[in-house]
Amino acid sequence: MSNHRLLAMFKDFDDAFEVIDKIKGKALSSVHVDDVTMMSPIEHPDIDEVFEGRPSNIGYFSLMGAIFGVSFGFFFLSSAQASFLVQPQGGKPVIPLPTNFVLMYEMLIFFFVWTTVFTFIGMSGLLSRRGTLYSEKLTVDEIGLVVEVSDSDLDSVKNFFKENQALEIREEKV
Amino acid sequence: MGQVIQDKVIDENLEWSRINADVIASMQNPRRAYWVTFAVCVSMFLCAIAAEIYQYKMGLGSAGLNNPHMWDMYIATFVFWIGMSHAGTLLSAILHIIHAQWRKPIYRFAEAMTTFSLMTAGFFPMIHLGRVWNLYWVLPYVSDRGIWPNFRSPLVWDAFAISTYLSSSALFLFIGMIPDMAVLRDHTTGWRKKLYGILCLGWRGDDRQWRNFRRTYMLLACILIPLAISVHSIVSSDFAMSIMPGWHVTTFPPYFVAGALYSGCAAIMTLFVALRYFFRMEEYMTLNIMEKTTKLTFAIAMVWTYLNLIEFSATWYGHNMYDKELLIDKATGPYAAVFWTMIFCGMVVPFTLCFQKLRRHMPTMLVVSILLNLGMYVERWMIVAPTLAMSHQPHQWDVLWGTVIQWAIVFGSFGWFGLLFLVFVKLFPCVSMYEVKELCLHLKHEIHEEEQAKKHAAKAGATSSGGASPAGNPGLEGA
Amino acid sequence: MSLKNILDNFSYYRRDAEMGGHHEYEHRFGMAIDLDICTGCNACSTACYAENNLAVVGQERFAKNQAMHWLRVERYWDEIEGDYPEQGAKIIPMLCQQCGAATCEPVCPVAATYHTPDGLNAQVYNRCIGSRYCSNNCPFRVRYFNFWSYYEDSWPEPLNMQLNPDLSVRDKGVMEKCTFCIQRIRVAKDTSQREERPMKDGDFTTACAQACPTDAIVFGDTMDPNSRVSKAWAKHQIHRGPVTAKKDKADEEVRGYRVFDELNVDPSIMYLERVRDTEV
Repeated sequence: MSNHRLLAMFKDFDDAFEVIDKIKGKALSSVHVDDVTMMSPIEHPDIDEVFEGRPSNIGYFSLMGAIFGVSFGFFFLSSAQASFLVQPQGGKPVIPLPTNFVLMYEMLIFFFVWTTVFTFIGMSGLLSRRGTLYSEKLTVDEIGLVVEVSDSDLDSVKNFFKENQALEIREEKV
Repeated sequence: MGQVIQDKVIDENLEWSRINADVIASMQNPRRAYWVTFAVCVSMFLCAIAAEIYQYKMGLGSAGLNNPHMWDMYIATFVFWIGMSHAGTLLSAILHIIHAQWRKPIYRFAEAMTTFSLMTAGFFPMIHLGRVWNLYWVLPYVSDRGIWPNFRSPLVWDAFAISTYLSSSALFLFIGMIPDMAVLRDHTTGWRKKLYGILCLGWRGDDRQWRNFRRTYMLLACILIPLAISVHSIVSSDFAMSIMPGWHVTTFPPYFVAGALYSGCAAIMTLFVALRYFFRMEEYMTLNIMEKTTKLTFAIAMVWTYLNLIEFSATWYGHNMYDKELLIDKATGPYAAVFWTMIFCGMVVPFTLCFQKLRRHMPTMLVVSILLNLGMYVERWMIVAPTLAMSHQPHQWDVLWGTVIQWAIVFGSFGWFGLLFLVFVKLFPCVSMYEVKELCLHLKHEIHEEEQAKKHAAKAGATSSGGASPAGNPGLEGA
Repeated sequence: MSLKNILDNFSYYRRDAEMGGHHEYEHRFGMAIDLDICTGCNACSTACYAENNLAVVGQERFAKNQAMHWLRVERYWDEIEGDYPEQGAKIIPMLCQQCGAATCEPVCPVAATYHTPDGLNAQVYNRCIGSRYCSNNCPFRVRYFNFWSYYEDSWPEPLNMQLNPDLSVRDKGVMEKCTFCIQRIRVAKDTSQREERPMKDGDFTTACAQACPTDAIVFGDTMDPNSRVSKAWAKHQIHRGPVTAKKDKADEEVRGYRVFDELNVDPSIMYLERVRDTEV
């Protein structure tokens, strides 16, 4: 039963990646690499190789938003045009497809963007509280690794981090 | 010296804490020059307000419009501002997708420029209407009369496209700023800390957030590019979908988009020089980046030149009497001086960007970029006014130049844009801190790899030269 | 409800003018203007001013092309040699052509202009927000915009007594144009309905046709085969719809044409070419 959260700070990505490699190599029995979270001021381009198997599914929602946008656009426009027959214009049909395509395209993009943004905010856990472990140096140049451990493993994990050049270790009770 | 080191756009050994400190310093305690510029922008904007109040009360006749000149500088300026907004999209989105790293220190203010250009452009469809108070009728809402706007009209497409583009750009700017908001939340105090704390939405920088952030940013960048192209194509449809000579041209959508990218790049150059000077950002907005920006501007200038010339050729070869006479009139008639200014500023001035000495000289680039933008503004006006001056019906041919009211409002729009921008650079970081750090990391890796490759090549060269000396007689070796 | 409406009538809603359109015309009003008889006296223009509450804008604004003349008499000069150079004058009264495939109609953002079942291009003053795209798209340039609030000083007392109560006085910011005196059309329709008979040629006419001293303007229903105007159209071989067949030009009497017919906007007004006795 985990009831402590630890944040270990490292001076750069290389140190942090070494630690992650060791954890992958089962250096710690109580911590699995999939439970490790890395906090950093920027994203490292190789992060997907370091942490395998962590997908981001925002794209599916965006696609759904786009499809909704196109169909909503078409039906909305056509029903507005079809319910107002008094206004034939310029020899053009009542439901002119070329002009409707333009507006359907804009609706596609509009809904794509808004769906993406809302999905992002939801999926990345923004606007929610996940504990108070944080350090201001994380937005300067230090890298943090967060793990959850139980009471019994607390000291061994802390020692592991200290041996592997952790600059600082913060903890909180969950 | 290796290629990467020679071309590097920024010093890769910049301390990240120094990046934070420099950018935060740019947001504090404005210098006197800032307040002077602010006052100038406010007074320009007030001129526009006064002119608009007069025009609202008296009617559009006070703007000097008549039959046939029903549209004049307002629509030209509207198209100009929409065009200028494409710069941010180009820099943020297009260059992001092709992984052009040099955009990282400068895309933030370009993206801000996009949003503010759109906010400036949005005024013009409002004020040029005869009955401004009924503006909301172009929006599709459920009205008790059961009446909808006319979706066949390019002006309604404008309403949809510009609101989509404005909201998408603002969101793109905001999302891109979230990690920077976190930096500011951690390193400022007082009301700023509270403000950034709210705006960063609780960003903590863990890998899940970064992963989703990268995905979102790429998705938004990918969709913003077709959006930008479609928005300016739709704005060009205001002209292309009519039957007027000089307007009913099929190349208008790409021509307008090329012109937009052109004026946007020129505006980026102007703001680059200005911000670099005001905030002493020489470390971040380096001369190498300016060179790349100017090369991009030159390429786009050539695209625009080509599309312009191809339009002239098509008109000249065609047998459409109206179009042909209009083109000849543009070049030799009452608007000739303006036409040739456009040709000079748009087609001749960009050749100064071919000289490296000039590209790296900031005052020259400031002047050149302003001339380029002048050429583009004049080009927009040359699209609107001569066609209306000389259309199908000869009895209604008329030459019109702008009046005081129009000039005041157009002038004031620049003041409004400047105002928005000046407020932005003091509230939000005009250089993206996390992206500059990413750039430094990336450059460090590239330089390291280049050095490793050179070492291996040197070692391989040493061993092969050692083994090659006895091979002076290949016959002996081979056998 | 509207989804069912769309699905049931989709092919009907997709028809454009070349395929027959999607509403049945009851009348299609048109005109025939004989430029040979027209003397350029401007009586038609004046009558239009009186009938339709058009504002007199004053000399200065007229010179700036901000006038409101729905029907303007245009004058062009050709250089001719001979004893009478005035013979080079060409006079043409230009008014809204009430195009069947009007270019002004689809570009209004708020649908303030549309095509009526009478074949007229209607302008709805209440809906107009003044974007002026329709005027920009009119090749004849016959749409006029209220640049000022003319009603404030065009009709000082007691001139306001002359205003026609059958139609409104427009405020600034609104587009207007010739309506073929739709107020008279309405009255004639109501009268004929009350008398339970169809409308016939001669029941009413437009102000300009009524005022013309030489009877150069003939107004009527081109769908009524007995009207003067449809007989004139038939005689001069002008047909509704896009320009198709070549006309038989051998006969000198056939001198009808429509302005800018290469633009295919299907105007409702046929002009008869002026017959000259000198080579111009």
